[in-house]
Amino acid sequence: MKYLSVFTLTLKEYFVYRLSFLIWRLRVLINFLVPFFLWLTVTKQVKNFAGYEQKSIIAYFFFTHLFSYFILGTRTVDIAGQIQNGEIINLLLKPISFFRFYFFRDLADKILNFSLSFLEISIFFSLFSFPTPQLNLEFLLPFLFFLLIGLFLSFCLNLLISFIGFWTTEIWAPRFIFFVLVSLLSGSFFPLDLLPKKLFILTLFTPFPYLFFLPVKMIASPQTLINKVEFNFLISMAIFWLIILYFLCRFFWQKGLKSFSFWGR
Amino acid sequence: MFKKLKRNLKIYLLLSYQSLKIVLQHRQGIILFLLGKILRFFVIFGMIFLIFSKTKMLVTYSFNQVIIIYLTFNLIDTAAQVLYREVYRFRPLVVSGNLDLILVKPYHPFLRVLVGGIDFLDLFLLIPYLFLLIFFITKESFPFFSVVLYFTLIINGLLIATAFHIGVLALGLLTTEVDNAIMIYRDLLNLGRFPIDIYQKTISFIFTFFIPVGVMTTFPAKALFNLLSFRNTVFAFFISFFLLSLSIKLWQLGLKKYQSAGG
Repeated sequence: MKYLSVFTLTLKEYFVYRLSFLIWRLRVLINFLVPFFLWLTVTKQVKNFAGYEQKSIIAYFFFTHLFSYFILGTRTVDIAGQIQNGEIINLLLKPISFFRFYFFRDLADKILNFSLSFLEISIFFSLFSFPTPQLNLEFLLPFLFFLLIGLFLSFCLNLLISFIGFWTTEIWAPRFIFFVLVSLLSGSFFPLDLLPKKLFILTLFTPFPYLFFLPVKMIASPQTLINKVEFNFLISMAIFWLIILYFLCRFFWQKGLKSFSFWGR
Repeated sequence: MFKKLKRNLKIYLLLSYQSLKIVLQHRQGIILFLLGKILRFFVIFGMIFLIFSKTKMLVTYSFNQVIIIYLTFNLIDTAAQVLYREVYRFRPLVVSGNLDLILVKPYHPFLRVLVGGIDFLDLFLLIPYLFLLIFFITKESFPFFSVVLYFTLIINGLLIATAFHIGVLALGLLTTEVDNAIMIYRDLLNLGRFPIDIYQKTISFIFTFFIPVGVMTTFPAKALFNLLSFRNTVFAFFISFFLLSLSIKLWQLGLKKYQSAGG
């Protein structure tokens, strides 16, 4: 029940700062335009680009827009600041789980972002007469599996970045490089399987493609992926990163708490 | 006049020196920040290579031309960040009322709130961008007049960027809203990373004639390739003059409305 309150309070926070939130959504839509129209133009000229036709590129970016902000949407960015100004103590002293607290805040953020992404992209597609892509339900189970993995990986990665705040005040630089890596290696700028095969396989050894590239591929155009890489390999790597990041999170959280001290509150 | 200019230059150099000292306090951050920017630059560079591995043209542009547009975007975007970084720190001055301390000083407030915090991190990147740009321009033989017009239009693009930044400062005075406005500007400018012609006609029209991102990034390159009509060249200079005048008017209006309510 208490976490339900966390969830609803987080939603209410967004409606307090309505203008900021609307501007954020406008920014999201503007950022969608560049890769979408770039690859649309490319597939207009090259009818089949490494297995991608115009229809599949439209589907890819449609679902990327929907799921990237659902998976990456987070409120854990506040944690580093709270560590540095001592506010985190207020949370640690309360009879609630720190991780569940942030998980439910994230959930509110994700649901709101997903709903608005769906609304925006639907209006955009109907305004410019783009065909609404069909869901590929043949790979529904792998989609759900990778979606869950993506959600947990995103949560753990964001927590890890914030935990740097226990040891240094310079959080902006690691967060910036994380943001750059996510935007480049998770497939928001181009479908990763367009890369030359060796390079693509190399990216699969990093945690980034498991954030939203794989769930999107499962529901948009799984065939192009299945031809290029072993399915079992993808599942193993996803689970590997989940375990590694989970234990890293626990380790740095415990280490961080031991080294943390604050006074004056 | 010359004496005043010399004094302003002295103040500007002093503020820049202080800005450099602040940057040098964050040594670890500098490395990661530069690494991130370089990585992003090269991955997008690689993406252009990837596209041209399957096609010879993007809309009507060759590989070399797309690279020049991409580098032109980087040059204008980075130069604007180098010069106008202080705008990003304007809101706290308004909210706290500390802007009063700047307004009473015997120099133009723009010297402090607009150009008073040169961004040395981006300055490091500006130099390789410029060299790469010159390298790609010299790979083809463009007429001298086109090259001159190209660099003139880059300066014109920077004037539009200046107008946007002054507009954001004015908005900050009127509404205390700075952070979102500046980020919207950055996102809009990102649309010019590639030729503006890739967007649908309506979008392309809006981002050329209403929000002149295309004028800032694609127009200079088009002039270099001899693809820019005389009418559009005149429009480019007109819009920068118009936006700059409008933003200064807005700033003056903002100053009149500013109540120094912080603290």
